[in-house]
Amino acid sequence: MFFLQLRSELAKLFGKKRTYIGFGVFLLAQNLMLLAFRFSNWQKGTARLLESNGYLATEFISALTVAVLMLIPQILLLMPLYVTLVGGDLVAKEAEDGTLRMILSRPISRFRLLFTKWLTGVIFAAILTVALGAMALFFARCWFEWKGMFVFIPIPGGSPIFNVLDAAGGLKYYTLAHAFLALNACTMLSLAFMFSCFNMKPAAATILAISLLFLSVVMEGMPFFADWKDLAITHHFRSWILVFSKPMQTAQIAESFSVLIGVNVTAFVIGATHFHMRDIKS
Amino acid sequence: MIELRGVSKQFGARWAVRDLDLSVPRGEIFGLLGHNGAGKSTAIGMMLGQVWPTTGQLSICGHDITRDRAKALHRVGAIFETPVFYDYLSGRKNLEILSHYTAPTSPERISKIVEWVGLTGRDGDKVSKYSHGMRTRLALAQALLPAPELLILDEPSDGLDPEGIHEMRLTIQRLQKELGLTILLSSHLLNEVELLCTRIAVVNQGRKVFEGTLAEAKQTKQWIRLKVGDFTKAVACLLTEKLITDTRNESHVALADGVRTDTLVRRLVALDIPVFEIAQEEETLESFYLNLMQDSRAKKPLPAAH
Repeated sequence: MFFLQLRSELAKLFGKKRTYIGFGVFLLAQNLMLLAFRFSNWQKGTARLLESNGYLATEFISALTVAVLMLIPQILLLMPLYVTLVGGDLVAKEAEDGTLRMILSRPISRFRLLFTKWLTGVIFAAILTVALGAMALFFARCWFEWKGMFVFIPIPGGSPIFNVLDAAGGLKYYTLAHAFLALNACTMLSLAFMFSCFNMKPAAATILAISLLFLSVVMEGMPFFADWKDLAITHHFRSWILVFSKPMQTAQIAESFSVLIGVNVTAFVIGATHFHMRDIKS
Repeated sequence: MIELRGVSKQFGARWAVRDLDLSVPRGEIFGLLGHNGAGKSTAIGMMLGQVWPTTGQLSICGHDITRDRAKALHRVGAIFETPVFYDYLSGRKNLEILSHYTAPTSPERISKIVEWVGLTGRDGDKVSKYSHGMRTRLALAQALLPAPELLILDEPSDGLDPEGIHEMRLTIQRLQKELGLTILLSSHLLNEVELLCTRIAVVNQGRKVFEGTLAEAKQTKQWIRLKVGDFTKAVACLLTEKLITDTRNESHVALADGVRTDTLVRRLVALDIPVFEIAQEEETLESFYLNLMQDSRAKKPLPAAH
């Protein structure tokens, strides 16, 4: 029965056109970035950086390197927007449309309904992340060769991540990084989902979740909060970058992983508790 | 099938429902009457476990709705005033999705219900292409999917044209006769309630002001239309002599038990009050309802309900 309900929630989510906006925008953005990388000074700058560190640029300007370069702006700008858009819709849109009242005239418990909805959101976030990674790699491979991977990611207030890997190792870390990216996406979705469980418009839930993430970024960047940066959610979103560090910062990754799992559970519990107490009226 | 005992609901400082007792027996079409904002929808929300009662006990199909919601709603179907669905999906997909919130339903049963409500051939179309009447049929279909014993209809004729209202009325009668369902019909369309229901309850400002059969509603008082030279004087005298019990609109009087119209005429003539017209009036549900509202407004006012 639970799987039937989950299937129904997935059918509802993937039956909507707006669910695919994120996929479409990623597709467009990736191809634009590929064009920019190939025909601007971006590629030359990357090659210079490699050569100044004693590596042959021709060996490392590859599909994997370009795929990672393309991921960064999309993860920072587009992913929070599209994930919170869907997360904010999950409950609030049904409440706004009136379909929630029809569902709740049936014997399903509120907790179970919310859990299936949240799980649907998690599946969406995971699919979006996998699609993002797979599309980036696919389009990058169309333009660049399959060779070694070069990663250079500056971290504000910290040491930059610099690493060179062979193609097999690069693909392994690229895949692992996407597991952590999926967790980041789930966390953003859980925050929007939490607000969505309150009596508010879907857009308000999305805006609140994005505001919370923005606030976290701002606080993290302020010297005054330097001692408390571990409390900022966005600080823990960096674990996917740390996967590429040499040696891999396992302890920091594990800590961030635990914190993000905790944030997900907390957001769900807050949302579910409020939703359970709420009166559902037309 | 439905038992409400001392049920109240407070939203902030406002009482939407106050001390509501209600009993809907099995197999009846029970009418819940009241103007917009009287508290009908809040009461229905509490019956379906969507609104938490502030006080009181609600039992649906023998189970406490607040404690045992799953069992209480297992054989309950509901329709709300404006039927809403997932417009981007087909009617059939909507039914499949909604059935999964109760119990697995076979495709054969869905087809049977679709045929019963007269949507065969259109169930594969997207709901966005449906007319209001078709949406109402689909709403009925989703309510019938769990093979309900109890059907809760909240303003089911809302927004329908006269033909649609007539069709809905026939469908409700069919549901009771053919499937033996207990139906709670919430409406402010008095004509519909009069044609369909055997028992009614009237709610005003969150309180129940009447519960009984339609016959009882119509026989509460025997009203006489009276046109006399001086209505005020006539009423004062007749009340003093206990020949009448009530008046309304300065044109009607309610006869006391055992008093006939000829007695009234003789007495008025004896009092030298000219009588121009006297006629017995049959109480309609509309006149009963309007008087009930007038009476309850004349009593102590309550904070407005949601």
